Amino acid sequence: MHSQAGAPGASGAPGAPGHPGAPLSRRRFLALSAAGATAGAASLSGCALQVSSAASGAGETVTVMAKSGDISTDLIKQAQNDIGVKIETVLYSISKLIAMMTNGNPPDLVRGVGAVDAPYFAARGVMENLDPYFAKSTVLKSDDLDPVNDLWRYDGRTQGKGPRYGMAKDFSQDSMFWYNTALFDRAGVEYPPELEPVTYEEWLDKAKRLTRRKNGATTVFGGSYNGVLTPNMLASLTVAAGGNLFTDDYSRVDFTSPEARKALGWYIDYCRTRVGPSIIQPDPNTWDGPTFQANRLAMSNSGYWLGGLINTDKKLAPLSRLAPAPVFEGGRRVSPCQAGTGFWIPSKSHNKDAAWRVFEWFFGEAPAKARASGGWGIPTLKSLRSLMPSQAPYQKEVLKVQKAELNHFSVIAFTPYATADSLYALFNQIAPAAMNGRMSVDRLAGQLNSAMNEQLKRGKEQVG
Amino acid sequence: MTVDQMSSVTRPSGSAQVAGRVWPRRRSSVAARRHRAFYMFASPWIAGFALLTVAPMSYALWLSFTTYDGISPNWHYVGLGNYRELFSDAQTWDSLGRTGLFAITSVPLSIVAGLVLAVLVNRPIRARGLFRTLLYLPAVVPPVGAGIAFKQLFDQNSGAANGVLNLFGIDALGWLADPYARYVLIMTVLWTAGNIMIISLAGLQDIPREVLEAARIDGASAWRSFRSITLPLLSPVLLFQTVTGVIASVQTIMPLLLAPDPTPAGITALPQSNYLYMMHVFAQYFAFGRYGYASALLWVLFVLILVATGLIFKSTSGVVFYNVDPEAKK
Repeated sequence: MHSQAGAPGASGAPGAPGHPGAPLSRRRFLALSAAGATAGAASLSGCALQVSSAASGAGETVTVMAKSGDISTDLIKQAQNDIGVKIETVLYSISKLIAMMTNGNPPDLVRGVGAVDAPYFAARGVMENLDPYFAKSTVLKSDDLDPVNDLWRYDGRTQGKGPRYGMAKDFSQDSMFWYNTALFDRAGVEYPPELEPVTYEEWLDKAKRLTRRKNGATTVFGGSYNGVLTPNMLASLTVAAGGNLFTDDYSRVDFTSPEARKALGWYIDYCRTRVGPSIIQPDPNTWDGPTFQANRLAMSNSGYWLGGLINTDKKLAPLSRLAPAPVFEGGRRVSPCQAGTGFWIPSKSHNKDAAWRVFEWFFGEAPAKARASGGWGIPTLKSLRSLMPSQAPYQKEVLKVQKAELNHFSVIAFTPYATADSLYALFNQIAPAAMNGRMSVDRLAGQLNSAMNEQLKRGKEQVG
Repeated sequence: MTVDQMSSVTRPSGSAQVAGRVWPRRRSSVAARRHRAFYMFASPWIAGFALLTVAPMSYALWLSFTTYDGISPNWHYVGLGNYRELFSDAQTWDSLGRTGLFAITSVPLSIVAGLVLAVLVNRPIRARGLFRTLLYLPAVVPPVGAGIAFKQLFDQNSGAANGVLNLFGIDALGWLADPYARYVLIMTVLWTAGNIMIISLAGLQDIPREVLEAARIDGASAWRSFRSITLPLLSPVLLFQTVTGVIASVQTIMPLLLAPDPTPAGITALPQSNYLYMMHVFAQYFAFGRYGYASALLWVLFVLILVATGLIFKSTSGVVFYNVDPEAKK
């Protein structure tokens, strides 16, 4: 059919423009080219569908959309050996994900940041409800799931309740911070208490005293405090100040409430004093690891996961300590996870059973055990906590602080009506003026409300 | 009835085999073969143009009339709503203004730099080939690599640029922040002036030597020869560089490569001076998920580019010298 449609003369009657031997008109040529291309694209799409829908269980192929560090080549080989499933990876990109979903051929497993992606995608009906799978699983049992996995729950209104749509691969309490005792000693600044939190004001005061500058350049940064995702961090700071950034129905933000204003003011103060990286003083490495490792960052607002790097540096490890999340005076002691990165299964996946098998293996079997002992995050199954590194004395200290901090974990729900990226982008566009001292925090709060609420309103209309 | 008339009456489908009608049949066959050859050679480009240019642009045009965000179920048709919003969006106009300023600055600078380099390496100097290679080398460095190198070089706290300033007792500058970021961006453009140099060099070598020698014999100075002979004869090349330079500069994504966080949301933290129009488009598509609005932005840019190109052609029609036969031009 394809070749007939594309063949000259297919249009029939003698003497018609398409008769054999007659030259093709340009108009006809373009029409036939378009028809051929459409037919070709349709047949290619059909082939792709057949490959995907044929897989279910062992011996089949699962497409995983992930970032380069999520699933290594060795892990792909291990999956083939352990569970007999062939994993094909697609590099994570939101535009590619949307294109694949629009074509009706989504990946079978998709990387996501539970803290912000779960409500957004679940509210749009593109995530598979995994409750029936969890109910049947002998590997991932409900009573073994760490509370952090509640970030992947959404009941149609609030994150943290309702069906499970995914799971975190490991996690950290991202308001905690690491500090370098050598830099504290050099600056004559007292260490934070081991298990009791400092206040945010004390933290900023220490950061100022720890900062060293020379010839206009900063040689030692006193501290970094940027969270994982800025909107999520601001929501966490507001809860720590005793309020909520979002209204009860998550359709609006309010930066002018006393608690949100306090949180925002503190963060702007942090940026303005330039004691650490921010959008007006970016770190060229884009993360704290290299600067902390080079003894140029005294306090790093990173959770337990940074221990994965610190543990590999025999000089740095004994100098490094983990400290509890700071608190605001008169606020609440909370220590949330701002990421909870993991995987979810699209509701239009053609290969859900095989995807679930990979899901179970990745989150509950050999890869999960390897991650737990690597120190790059807290395992998301309670039964795996015994594998966390605790041989060296400094590892024992870190584990003690971390275990105590787990008592203060809570899910801070995010809005389903906007991506964290969109709110972050708005913050980036508006806040630098305040960070540079050209705008008051009150005015900033008002402008953030206007811009973000407009974005949330659009999102609410689209969710319906 | 002539032979041709008979042929047109009796030939049923262009394949008549009647004796005495060989000549028209052959003529028809040659014409058909030429048509086929034309389409055979042109079809890859036409198919590519249709599939990769016309189809996406048409799709983007359709998107520009909707609130589509790629994923939400309740998007709808808004007619010209996105275009109306665009005209009242300060970010759009600010970024467009900065882009215009960037084009007005970077295009002439890079053309002049490329031309100066071309004139220098066109002279009979020693190791001319080596100099040509060295000057062209930056143009073959992948832009991503160049972006990383520039970011490291101009980092406030550990970059080599501030190291040099410190040697002279000058305090470190925040090169990648306002107000200096725009200069770093222009430096990245000038760094690849080797591209323009190569094209200008080809143009210079195309100038008939006897014309320059005649001018020299007539006593013209080097500057007079350059101004009155070289520049006019090079003007089509300069026009080409201007048109392609303007189009490339308004579509540039170089600020993205200088961004500390080159993600859709991260680029919104760019210094204002480097937040150019395409950055705004990129953020609207992928940070805000506003496919409809971003498509409207792109269509407006497309029209502006058409207008700018037309204006450049019109304003230079009297000064560009085309070295072709005037009769053939008619």
